[in-house]
Amino acid sequence: MSSLYEIPRQYIIHLANTGVLHYTFGYAFVVNGFLCALVVGPLLGGIGTMVVAKRMAFFSQAVGNAALTGVAIGVIIGESYTAPYVSMFSFCLLFGLFLNFARNRTKMSSDTLIGVFLSISLAIGATALLWVSAKVNTHILDTVMFGSILTVNDTDITVLLVTTLLTGITALPLFNQMLLASLNPSLAHVRGVRVHLLEYVFVLLITILTVACVKIIGAVLVEALLLIPAAASRNLNRSIRGFVAWSVIFSTVSCLVGVYAPLRWDLPVPSGGAIILTGAAFFLVTMIIRMTVPRYREAAI
Amino acid sequence: MQGPSIDFAGVNLALGNTRILEDVSFAVRAGSIHCIVGANGGGKTSLIRSLIGQMPHSGRIDIHWQDGRVTGYVPQSLDFDKSLPITVMDFMAMTSQRRPIFLGVPRPRRRLIEAALDRVGLNGKQRARLGSLSGGERQRVLFAQAMIPEPALLILDEPMTGLDLAGKGILEGAIRDFARAGGTVVWINHDIVQVNDIADAMTYIDRRVLLDGAPRDVLAGGAAAHLFPTLALPAQRADA
Repeated sequence: MSSLYEIPRQYIIHLANTGVLHYTFGYAFVVNGFLCALVVGPLLGGIGTMVVAKRMAFFSQAVGNAALTGVAIGVIIGESYTAPYVSMFSFCLLFGLFLNFARNRTKMSSDTLIGVFLSISLAIGATALLWVSAKVNTHILDTVMFGSILTVNDTDITVLLVTTLLTGITALPLFNQMLLASLNPSLAHVRGVRVHLLEYVFVLLITILTVACVKIIGAVLVEALLLIPAAASRNLNRSIRGFVAWSVIFSTVSCLVGVYAPLRWDLPVPSGGAIILTGAAFFLVTMIIRMTVPRYREAAI
Repeated sequence: MQGPSIDFAGVNLALGNTRILEDVSFAVRAGSIHCIVGANGGGKTSLIRSLIGQMPHSGRIDIHWQDGRVTGYVPQSLDFDKSLPITVMDFMAMTSQRRPIFLGVPRPRRRLIEAALDRVGLNGKQRARLGSLSGGERQRVLFAQAMIPEPALLILDEPMTGLDLAGKGILEGAIRDFARAGGTVVWINHDIVQVNDIADAMTYIDRRVLLDGAPRDVLAGGAAAHLFPTLALPAQRADA
């Protein structure tokens, strides 16, 4: 698999060395970060529209924060500090599935329930981190929580690629059904949609995505990228097509800029932070456009 | 096209400690307009949801299909964020096509959808945002989606809520046409005057079946006067 990445990597490095690209592209880790950004940007932007349409933003955020606890547990049971994928994935998955199960079984409003679960998960995480801090340098945890492309290796790229393929293959054919289920479950049911099953599939997708994007964006900030580009896109569009397309564009550009800008201008910002701040800039601009330009103001009513 | 007949036999539904439906039994004739009426909280929507297989009921609900097995369902409302960028066309396509709607709607389906919208008087609204429509217009969109693909059974959950007179007239016409062509209609309806006007049969449900039969017979009976005290139907006025 590594040799597969070597071809584009060497090509880009070659371009940097010959002066076609900026010299920072001469470093393999920068190229790795860029490749990741190109894969993960469109994916998060696309799935993000679903998160916004399904009003699952808070839920996604909770799953992201559960990753923090997953990391702490991973370190305790002896996984690699920089890539505790197994613990992170297991804990997030259990968290997401159990939360969804509880939501289906109780009449409690979902924000209350998510709030409760989130607090429990953070409490466990905080407790676990206390143990962990005695074992490792906590700066290593920073990179997991807020992203650091310096540490992206071929394994991470593979995890990301496989995740993207799996998510794409699953989410594309189910897009309409998932959206319909969120608009009216009964109508979706009559149309042959397995509403509850799809809810679990969606939880699964969010969880896999969160875990896969940890290296580049960070466990805590991944969910922001699921939300912000889609929210920015919603400000300017009236149809699903524009909504998805612009969300993908905003998300991809945010990822690319977030990876590139700190290196190019030597900014003391982690890649995750830079990516989210770029997305946030898009959101602010679109919000101002929506508030001031008459054509969009009409769409806001 | 011939719609199905439906037999409800001893349908019971309890959620937690609450008994929603108790021994509900009645029949819906093939090709008829059958209205379900009753007080709020009487279990009408639960009955419909049992019919579409979404509620863990006991007892039997047998749908005897004849031609085709397509059910069109018109829900009471949509629960969605009004600012969501979904156009009427997006929504219509979402209910009937598998290809992700952001990749577009093939031309033949687009024409089908336009024709369905035209039938409910929403021609030219395809590109409007779903959230920008009035409540009545949205009800009509919900009705239009139920007609693609052409159903044999149409289940309506108070589709007239929020509709103006013109809108009511359009939907009434479409429902009559559908039944005349042989389709079966099961319709939750609060408007007893309309039920009397249009329905072939009605069933009054308040946890159990209290009245069942042709509206003319049911509404002329003494029980109906008790259940609809403020009602002044032609049939009753004639009696008085």
